[in-house]
Amino acid sequence: MTSKSIKAMVASVTVGMLFILIGCSKVTQTTETVTTQTKSPSNSEETQGIVLLSGLPTLGTKDSIAILEMDPESPQFGDILYEYELPKYDAPLHHLYYSPNGRLYATGLGTQCSLAEVLLSRDAQGAPSINDVTCLDTQGQSVGEDIMWHTVNGKPHMFVTFMGGTGLDQVDAGSVGVFDPQSNELIKIIEARKSMVGEGQPYIMYPHGISAFGDRMVVTSSVHPNLTDGVGNAITVIDLNTLEPIENIVTEDAKPVGYPSSPVEVLFVRPSIVEGVEPAVLVNTMFGFETWKIPYNESDKSFGTPVKLYDGASAGTGVPLEFYGNQNELFISHGLPGVVKRYSLTDLPELVSSGADIQAEAGAHHMIFYKTASGKDVIAIQNNLLNLGNAADEDPTDVDFIAKLNHHSLTVHDLATGERLGEINIKERYNKGIDNIEALFGSGFVHHH
Amino acid sequence: MLCFAVVLAGMLGGWWLRLQTPSTTPVSFSAPFVFGRFIIPQDNPLTVESIALGRRLFYDPKLSGNNQVSCATCHKQHLAFTDGLPHSIGVSGNPLPFNSMSLANLLWGPQLLFWNGRASSLEEQALQPIEHVDEMAQDLSLLLEELASDAVYHKMFAEAYGNVSLDAIAKALANFQRTLVSANSKYDQYLRGELNLSELEEQGRRLFMAHPDTKVSLRGGNCIDCHSQFLTGGFNTAFDGFNNNGLDDDATLAAGLAEVTGLDAHKGMFKTPTLRNIAVTAPYMHDGRFNTLEEVLAHYNGGIKRSSTLSPLILEADNVAQHQEDKISLNLTKQEERAIIAFLHTLTDKEFLTDERFSNPFTAKKDAP
Repeated sequence: MTSKSIKAMVASVTVGMLFILIGCSKVTQTTETVTTQTKSPSNSEETQGIVLLSGLPTLGTKDSIAILEMDPESPQFGDILYEYELPKYDAPLHHLYYSPNGRLYATGLGTQCSLAEVLLSRDAQGAPSINDVTCLDTQGQSVGEDIMWHTVNGKPHMFVTFMGGTGLDQVDAGSVGVFDPQSNELIKIIEARKSMVGEGQPYIMYPHGISAFGDRMVVTSSVHPNLTDGVGNAITVIDLNTLEPIENIVTEDAKPVGYPSSPVEVLFVRPSIVEGVEPAVLVNTMFGFETWKIPYNESDKSFGTPVKLYDGASAGTGVPLEFYGNQNELFISHGLPGVVKRYSLTDLPELVSSGADIQAEAGAHHMIFYKTASGKDVIAIQNNLLNLGNAADEDPTDVDFIAKLNHHSLTVHDLATGERLGEINIKERYNKGIDNIEALFGSGFVHHH
Repeated sequence: MLCFAVVLAGMLGGWWLRLQTPSTTPVSFSAPFVFGRFIIPQDNPLTVESIALGRRLFYDPKLSGNNQVSCATCHKQHLAFTDGLPHSIGVSGNPLPFNSMSLANLLWGPQLLFWNGRASSLEEQALQPIEHVDEMAQDLSLLLEELASDAVYHKMFAEAYGNVSLDAIAKALANFQRTLVSANSKYDQYLRGELNLSELEEQGRRLFMAHPDTKVSLRGGNCIDCHSQFLTGGFNTAFDGFNNNGLDDDATLAAGLAEVTGLDAHKGMFKTPTLRNIAVTAPYMHDGRFNTLEEVLAHYNGGIKRSSTLSPLILEADNVAQHQEDKISLNLTKQEERAIIAFLHTLTDKEFLTDERFSNPFTAKKDAP
């Protein structure tokens, strides 16, 4: 994962970004959203976050799952309230997700534990604890990324994207695992590698983002897990009636850093998110720095021509990553220079700004929403792309271009004003990297998908 | 010299206090994460000794004036600690104003107990029925004498709290009730991924969880709006969980929470009970007016009466595109009513209803650990 070719590629991405940032203009300023403050929450755990932490070999620390106090008004702000040490896998766990029934899952970037269930419990004092982390049988699928729970023809399923598919040695790897959400048993592997399907036939490659509406699911084609064998530039539409891919749609334009666009996260905007909305798919392209809209006609189930809604290369941002939503707004994180842009939820699928950018740090990525003890609505942003690399490079979080996207911090901002209320630097404070944050009780109703 | 006397007195005081404070055994257990945080009072930690004492007191008719009525008279384990009567009957033989409430998962909330919220903790609640003239009609000073003269109690109180006192009685009863944890119903097993619900139960679950929204073709039973804490003992925040669910019109509206707060806005509002084991806790409502779950569903599906404090969440839930001004009803089909009832049956925890640890220690085959 730390070969010279990776470094060359990522270095060029970084250089490209630096040029773009030097030439960037001021960020768009719009009216700030004013949020009514309410009485403080009674459940103190509502200000707690659960995080995946990566041990740094040169600093003598180990991978863990921890619960952090995230209220900047608390004297315990930034304290680890509970920590569960993880076994050493071949790559870190990457992302936490709560199922609709409140079960906690994690995807993992390796082959040894690419999907796991985290068994939460409470001790005799009522405090949260972890009983076990059970790695699930993916039947060889590796490098788990996103999870989505979706009901197909009345039956709930758990869908997981595996960027490494059924073999990391495959240059066109990638699969979507379909699991029974109760038993966690694998039902089906949806796999359609380019080399397996005929020319021009729909394929699935390096799937990362996932979203669905009705009987149509979309997954992105991002980048081979080894960051060398290939980069995608399209999304794949899957017919959930047959669990087969039926179409690829390219979302690519200027190639600002010379690589394919690498669609990363995707959001199927649908009526359950915005009442009365005209459905459409939003796509962030990691190396294209863009956000695209693909219109969807629900009556004939056809997808329209992609439209570029946001161009980071000209707006001075790069590596757009996540979609998150609360009751009023959609938030998109941009790893460079490290901002979260905010948009009016009711105006989706168009991106109409609802306030000034939230100035986070390099690697702005996942986020959570909650109220402080005094009732202030806040957003906490994880400023860290990935903790990859290996011990041979001395410090796995400080290699490659990834280092430029790893501030190792969590920043907390007033949602009404964007003001930074606090910062926790995980590396400085705990000698660890941070891979993901999730609110202890879940992050919000849109949450990626 | 004075200084020396003060220091000596302090030392002796500390020594005396240590002598009075028994060495107790903390209880170790785990609980479901999804039930949420619980708080155990710092001055009444859960200990093996206090729970054993509380269990004995709970089942002992000595706590009543005529030595014939215990807490368990109105709170029978096999009925999820209710009594099956519309109005409980105690020492006086007069029916009480309220239906006996289930005692399950009181570890999580509630901040206010009884149907009208007149007690703010389990400890505060514990002595009220003992003193009440219609319930257990016990003179508390006589009770202290009686318990202090009982060798078994003398030893158990000494081990749990140091000595026999009203404070210790209340704390012990509270702690026993905190251990009444129900977490193994079919629905709990479903949440843990151990089984699937039947098609009817799953339909009922979805209806239970949904506030109806015709704009997105979502039918809902609207249950969750008031019963969001249905797995635990209720809300742990002040007056959350007190609702007027349309049982009576303004002319006949009972005082409910207003009896405690004195506020007209709280008239007709009663505590939303846990739905755990609801299938075995008939009859229903604060006055036990409904004998079956079918009657309860019929109430919400057309039997709601208007009043000034009726929950707005009930008013607007009708499952129809055109809001009906003249009638308040969920407009559920009979099949949908059956589905919700099927789901409610999944909340029955048979293990809880027969758990030896919660049973009568005077008749139990063996004492559970």
